[in-house]
Amino acid sequence: MSDLPNIVNVARREFLARVRTRTFLFATLFLVIGVVAIALVPVIIRAIDRGEEPTVAVWTADDVDPAADPVLTLDALLNAPTGAQDPVTATGGGFEVLSVDEVDAARAGVDDGDYSAVLAIERAADGELAFTLYTNAAATGRMAQLVRQASTAIAVADRLDRLGLEPTDQAALFAPAEYSVAWADPERTDPTTDEVTQGTDYMLGYGLTILIFMMIILYGNWVAMSVVEEKSSRVMEVILNAATPFQLLTGKVLGVGSVAGVQYLAMLGTGLVAILLQGRLADLILGGGGMAVELPEGLTVGLLLVLVVYGVLGFLLYAVLYAAAGSLVSRQEDVNQVVTPMSLISVAGYLIALYTGTGLLEIDPTLLVVLSMVPFLSPFLMVSRAGSGDVAIWEYALSISLLVVAITIALWIAARIYAAGVLLYGQRPSVRMIWRLARQGM
Amino acid sequence: MSLDIFDLRKRFGDVQALDGISFSVTPGEVFGFLGANGAGKTTTMRIALGFLRPDEGRVVWRDRPVHDWHRRTWGYMPEERGLYPRMEVLEQLVFYASLYGVSRSQARRDALDWLARFRIRDYADRRADSLSKGNQQKVQFVATILHDPDVLLMDEPFAGLDPVNVALLKAAFLEMRDRGKTLLFSTHQLDQAEELCDSVAIIDRGRLIASGTTREVKRSTGHQTVRLATSSDGDLEWLRALPEVQVTRPGRDYTELRVGAGSDPQVVLRAALEHGDDVYRFEVADPSLEEVFVERVGAIDRAEETLAASPAQASGGPDR
Repeated sequence: MSDLPNIVNVARREFLARVRTRTFLFATLFLVIGVVAIALVPVIIRAIDRGEEPTVAVWTADDVDPAADPVLTLDALLNAPTGAQDPVTATGGGFEVLSVDEVDAARAGVDDGDYSAVLAIERAADGELAFTLYTNAAATGRMAQLVRQASTAIAVADRLDRLGLEPTDQAALFAPAEYSVAWADPERTDPTTDEVTQGTDYMLGYGLTILIFMMIILYGNWVAMSVVEEKSSRVMEVILNAATPFQLLTGKVLGVGSVAGVQYLAMLGTGLVAILLQGRLADLILGGGGMAVELPEGLTVGLLLVLVVYGVLGFLLYAVLYAAAGSLVSRQEDVNQVVTPMSLISVAGYLIALYTGTGLLEIDPTLLVVLSMVPFLSPFLMVSRAGSGDVAIWEYALSISLLVVAITIALWIAARIYAAGVLLYGQRPSVRMIWRLARQGM
Repeated sequence: MSLDIFDLRKRFGDVQALDGISFSVTPGEVFGFLGANGAGKTTTMRIALGFLRPDEGRVVWRDRPVHDWHRRTWGYMPEERGLYPRMEVLEQLVFYASLYGVSRSQARRDALDWLARFRIRDYADRRADSLSKGNQQKVQFVATILHDPDVLLMDEPFAGLDPVNVALLKAAFLEMRDRGKTLLFSTHQLDQAEELCDSVAIIDRGRLIASGTTREVKRSTGHQTVRLATSSDGDLEWLRALPEVQVTRPGRDYTELRVGAGSDPQVVLRAALEHGDDVYRFEVADPSLEEVFVERVGAIDRAEETLAASPAQASGGPDR
C-alpha cells in the first residue's frame, strides 16, 4: 500500500489544525508587521529627518556685498552628501535655502513655521561679517552646526576677498588635499576594507543564521509538542490502526513544515516587497527624489536560494528527530527535557556560525570548511558562510548530499523509535531504552 | 476461517503480560474478552492489530496473518478515548476515515448518519472537548466503524456510558453483527457480556482461564444454579444440610443456591416438598458468568488490586 495518501492526509490535518488557530494568525501578522517595519526603517528615518529641516531663509544686509553668494554656499554645504553608501540614509539633501528681503518678516515666518531658521548676515564695524541664526530649533542641533560651518566658509571667503585674492585662486586654495589609506602590513595589496559594507555583510550572515535557527528550534519544538499531544489525548492509538508510524511521522513533519513555510514566506515575501517598494514608498511619503529600486547590498537571489535549501533540509533533519523524541514522553512538561540533545546541537551550530561569521572568533578556515560539511551544523554554517563570502560549488554539493543522507538515516531511526515510543506511557526514557527501541522497532 | 490467536506470549521487563493465550473468534459473532484490568486484554488486542510484536505466537484472520490484510479490515476502539480535543467532531471523523482510504464525501455522509443515530447530530460542528464523556465515547465508536471494517476490536466500549447510551451501543453492536461483522470487545462488566456475547474468553494474568460459547463457559464449572422460593423463606438451615448445595444468595424474594457437579438440582425440590413447604418458585439455570469468573479467578476487583501493586509494571511496556 502506498504511503503517500496517508502522509498527505496527516500533513493536511496538521497544517489546517495549526493554520486555523487564532494564535497562528496573530503570530504571523505580528511577524509580518515587524518585518515590514524593519524594512522600512530607512524611509521612516528620512521622513522624520525631513520633517525637522525644511527651509533656511538667508537675509543679507544691504552693506554686506559678500564675495561668494551666501545662498549658493549654504545650499552647497547643507546639501553635501556625507559619504554614506546608502542613498536613503545619506544625510545630505532636504534643505531648501532661499533669500529673503525683510529680516523681521522672516523671523515672524520662523514662528509661524514657514521657515525653520533665518540666517541674518551683517557687516560689523571692524569690517568682519556677523552672522545671527534666528530659530526655534536647538542651538547645537545638526542644522545649527551645518549653518555654523557654512558661515565660517562664507566669512573666510569674504576675508580672502578683502585681502585681494581672486575667486579663482580661492578655488585652488580650497581644493581637497591628496589623501589615501593603506594597510599597515607592507605585503598586503588587496583593497582596504570598507568598514560600512563589511558591516552589512556581517549583519546579513547574522540575520540569515538567526532565521535558520528559529526555523529549526521553533518548528522542531512544534513537531515534538504535536506528537506528545496526540499521545496524551490517545489519538495515537486510533490513527495507528489506520496509518503506519512512518506515515504519521512523515506527515506530521511535512505538515508542520508547511506551516513554517507559510509563515516564512509571508515574512520574507512582505519583507522583500517592502524593500523593493522602498523607493516608491519614499516617493509617496516624501514626494519627489526617486531612488533606485534594489535589494540591500549582498542579498542576492542566489543567497535566498541557499537560505531556502538549507532551511528546508535543516528543518527536516531536526524535525524527524524532534518527532522521535516527542514520541518517547507522554506529557507536555517532559518535552523540553527529551529534546535537549537536539537543542544543544543546534545551539552549537548557531553559535559557531555566529562567531565565525562576524569574525569575533578566529577559526582555522580549513576547520570551518570541514565543520560546515557536518550535517547537523551545515545548515547554520553554510548559510552564514554564503552570507559573508564565497563558497565553492562543490562545497554546496557535498554538504547538501551529506544532509540528504543524514535525513534518510534519521528518518529510518526516528520511524523505529516512533513506532515503539508512541505506545509507551509514563516512563522515563533512557539512552539504553532508546537504543533497544531503535533496534527492535517495537 | 476465523480470527485465531495462537499461543501468544509477551514479556514487558519483569512482567509476563501474556503467557500462552490461544482462542478463536468465529466470523460474524460477538465475542467477549473478559478479565480484570492488567489481565492482558489490551496487550492481546494490540498484538492482534499489529501494534506490538509478540515474543511468541501469532494471530491469523481467515488463515492469513493480520499484516496481510488491508488496514481497512480492522476497526479499533482503544480504552482511553482518543479524539483531537480542539478539532470539530465531523472533521476528525472524516480525517480518521480518510486514513483508511474512504473518500471525504462518503465519510461525511456516513458520519452524519451515524451521529444522527446516536442522537448527537447537533454536535457535528462542535469541538470534541466540548462534548460530555459519554458523547465523546459515541463519537469514538463512530470513528471505529466509519470505514466499515470486517473485524472490530473494542477495549471497554461500555465504560462510563449511562443506561440509555449503553442500549444505543448494544443495538449498534447487534446491527454490525447482523451485517456480518465480527466483534470482539473487552469488558469487566460480566452481565453485559452475558447479554451480548455469542462466545467469551476469560483471561487472568496473561493466562487463558476459559473460552468457548457463552453457554459452554457458563457450564464449564459443572455447577448449576437453583432459585427457590417457598413458604418458609428465611429458614435456611435445612437447605444447608443438603450435600453439594451451597446458599450463594439468600434473598427476600427467593434464595439462590449452587448445586455441585455431583448432585441433581431435583434433590433440592424434593427436599423442599419433604420439608413441608409450599414451593412458589423453582428454577434451574446455568451459573452466571460472574459466578464462573469468581469461582475460576476470584473477584474481578480483587484481581485488579493485586496487579496494580506489581512493582515491575514501571520497567517496560505499556501501562497495562
